[in-house]
Amino acid sequence: MPFKDVLLFLHPTFGVLGLVAAVWVLVEALNASEANQRRIQIASIVVAVMFAATWFLAGWFYTVYYHSGDQALIAKGPAPWAHNFFMETKEHLFFAPLVLAFFLPIVARLKLWLNRPARNMVLVVTALIALQGLAIEGAGAIINWGAKAALSQMVQNTTVPAAQKVTN
Amino acid sequence: MATTTTQAAMAQSKAEANAEATAAAFALSASITVVFNVVLAFIKDSYPPLNSFMAALTGHHWRTHGLADVILFLLLGWLFMARGIPSRGLTNGSAATLGASVVVAGAALGLWFLVN
Repeated sequence: MPFKDVLLFLHPTFGVLGLVAAVWVLVEALNASEANQRRIQIASIVVAVMFAATWFLAGWFYTVYYHSGDQALIAKGPAPWAHNFFMETKEHLFFAPLVLAFFLPIVARLKLWLNRPARNMVLVVTALIALQGLAIEGAGAIINWGAKAALSQMVQNTTVPAAQKVTN
Repeated sequence: MATTTTQAAMAQSKAEANAEATAAAFALSASITVVFNVVLAFIKDSYPPLNSFMAALTGHHWRTHGLADVILFLLLGWLFMARGIPSRGLTNGSAATLGASVVVAGAALGLWFLVN
């Protein structure tokens, strides 16, 4: 498997792990107590690390391989909006959950079982990370489909005339 | 013994108050950064020289954009923390402000690329 495809698979994997860790923090914070405070702090650091890894890996793929590969392909296919809308929105929207992920450990170290505003902040931040993460993962799937649809069209355009020649 | 316990409790309470002030400062910083991120995307998208300038800085506009967001978040957070902003500390309003800025900024971003 080419290295660029490894990057393509790795970046959403870390994104999903970050998203799952955010849901983990959300559920722990809903049941915040002195007993699970340490777990909340650890999980919030996991969220930040996973999003940092996603940023690095996605950035590597996007800035080095995407423009000459998938973007060029999508532009020639039946769904150029897969890039024009979904990729453009996704690439900028990602920075919001990234900042929230970096902020999470700062607020999660407070005593959430005693401090209601801090607990509410953790709930809002983790819910937003999870929802935006899902939207970004969905956008990624549509971008992949855009590239696949372009390839299908190219294959059809090259094989159908040949098939017609054989029939004629 | 009782004095030592009281001192320890006071120190712990002060540490918690400092941690809360830090969280409030970075919450405000995150709200501003999320809005800045979208505004920068709009300007970058409609003014190509800025896009080219950002690309020249790090090799790609997206790298510069992300670094600008993270640096702004850290700088503003540190600045607010040093100046004791917001003075009310962490409130339910802080969470509402952050939530609203993320939702509005995200919706504006989607609309921008839908229309343009």
